[in-house]
Amino acid sequence: MSAITFENVSHTPRAGVKGPGAAAWLAALDLPVPRAPNSWLPLPGGLIARLGLTEFLVEGSEAAKLAAPLAPGVYPVLRQDTALVLHGARLNELLLETCSVDFRALDLSTRPVVLTSMVGVGATVIPGEEGGMPCCHIWCDSTYGEWFFETLTDVAGELTQSSQPRHQGATS
Amino acid sequence: MTCPVNGPRAISEFAYGGEIRPMPDPTTCSDDAWADYIFNRNGSPGVKREWWCHTPSNTWFVAERDTARDVVLRTYLYAEES
Repeated sequence: MSAITFENVSHTPRAGVKGPGAAAWLAALDLPVPRAPNSWLPLPGGLIARLGLTEFLVEGSEAAKLAAPLAPGVYPVLRQDTALVLHGARLNELLLETCSVDFRALDLSTRPVVLTSMVGVGATVIPGEEGGMPCCHIWCDSTYGEWFFETLTDVAGELTQSSQPRHQGATS
Repeated sequence: MTCPVNGPRAISEFAYGGEIRPMPDPTTCSDDAWADYIFNRNGSPGVKREWWCHTPSNTWFVAERDTARDVVLRTYLYAEES
């Protein structure tokens, strides 16, 4: 059994905006706006994340709302991310090996969003918990997607092998 | 280093953007003053205000760094400058 499962959710609709007027514009679209930088809120079938001070990512069916005409001070952000959902008992070990943020130190009740570098690629990470096991949602630039996915699955494979009992070979 | 928005991170997540230097008005300053701004840099050690970027989030901010000891004294967003 794999220690970590990967789900590619890149096909999920998503859209982004940024700019000094972005928060007010999203609120006018009846979307909940996370107040703190680097935090997120759930939406029906998706989420809205505040990336830094004035940039937002909306994922799920609600992303269609961002097709509305933009207001002054609101600029579109092209979101053609590779998006992955990782889940498993040894996920924190994978994260410790691939980036410099200790996700175990985060308070999940504050709904944190972490912008960091994973295996050298800029990534947005939302950590969570599902069924008593850690999970996380990761977005990165799709031009790095294949390499990012292969590198993470390689590391996850090594973790899986290290968790299985070693078979002793014949000794001479 | 501590990003003002993203918090403490490994230095590998940051890129140096150079010392903050006021640009002289190119329409009124002398050629010598303009050439000095374009070509010369102050390499003397001391506390300097520098541009740094947290690359995963593309957050540009100001760091006050003692270049003699390579110690970052303070980081803040440019808009928060007091």
